[in-house]
Amino acid sequence: MRPKLNAVGWAGLMVCLLAFAGEGQAQAAVLKLEAQLVWGTDDSKPPAGKNYQPVQPELKKKLKDLPLKWSNYFEVNRKSLEVKAGETRKEPMSDKCEILVKHLDNSDLEVSLIGKGKEVMKRRQSLPRGEILVLGGNAPNATAWLVILRQAE
Amino acid sequence: MMDYQQQLDLQAYLDGELSEAKARRVAAWLAQDAEAAALAIELRQTRSAVTGYEKEIRLPESREFYWSKIQREIQRQERAEPNAERLPEWLKVIRRLLMPATAMAMVAFIAVMVGRQPTGIPSETALTDTGAMTYRDFEKGATLVWLSYPADNEFADYEAAMFE
Repeated sequence: MRPKLNAVGWAGLMVCLLAFAGEGQAQAAVLKLEAQLVWGTDDSKPPAGKNYQPVQPELKKKLKDLPLKWSNYFEVNRKSLEVKAGETRKEPMSDKCEILVKHLDNSDLEVSLIGKGKEVMKRRQSLPRGEILVLGGNAPNATAWLVILRQAE
Repeated sequence: MMDYQQQLDLQAYLDGELSEAKARRVAAWLAQDAEAAALAIELRQTRSAVTGYEKEIRLPESREFYWSKIQREIQRQERAEPNAERLPEWLKVIRRLLMPATAMAMVAFIAVMVGRQPTGIPSETALTDTGAMTYRDFEKGATLVWLSYPADNEFADYEAAMFE
């Protein structure tokens, strides 16, 4: 019996071509991100010998809205990164802490946190402009470390 | 109490499906077991009721002619199928070319759709036992993932791990 090409076959072909076109468009997209390593503390000053600057008021307000108990947040490091759709960027935040960002599609990301060379967390989520993703943990002397990721202005 | 297999044996006995030896055993059992005998009577009555009231269908023509009509219709449909394939040669060539292309397109489409990452729905995969807790404030557009990393016993070198 000979195979038949019917409407379903044609439709599949068309949809596939459209899908490829859309994929090509997405590939061209670049996501501009800003990553900050932040130290949370109740102290009004950064640790002795460190010239950490307080985070911007707008970010401080966002952090205050989260269930975090610290009254002050100091920026330890800040990085800008651009990730093309489908690509992955590794960005060191300190000598032993780095993030791995994969741009999935539009504003969808896959973020990995690497500490001392080990991947300690991987998260996939959408990060539209204006939203923040905060990865954090406890630090000695009732302080905290935070890695804050958001789309660059 | 009869089990299921005994009931099947009894039914087979009544239908004449048992071997001679087994039929003798069932007949002896029937003569001794009142429950089996009662079931045998019930099954016989059911059979006679069904066969006695089965509607008889009378064909308008002879049996042979009736079946020959069915055979001719089957043959006619088998002949009709190749006729539907009478297409211009150029169209047949295009169809032959498009078939693998369509198959490849379908496969590629499925691959693209499968390869696409889900959007809009956050999902988390903790690759190590970080004891991560997630808080999401949709209104404020903020997500907090709180990790137990560095682990308590690593606090001593925490600053070296995260800040230095």
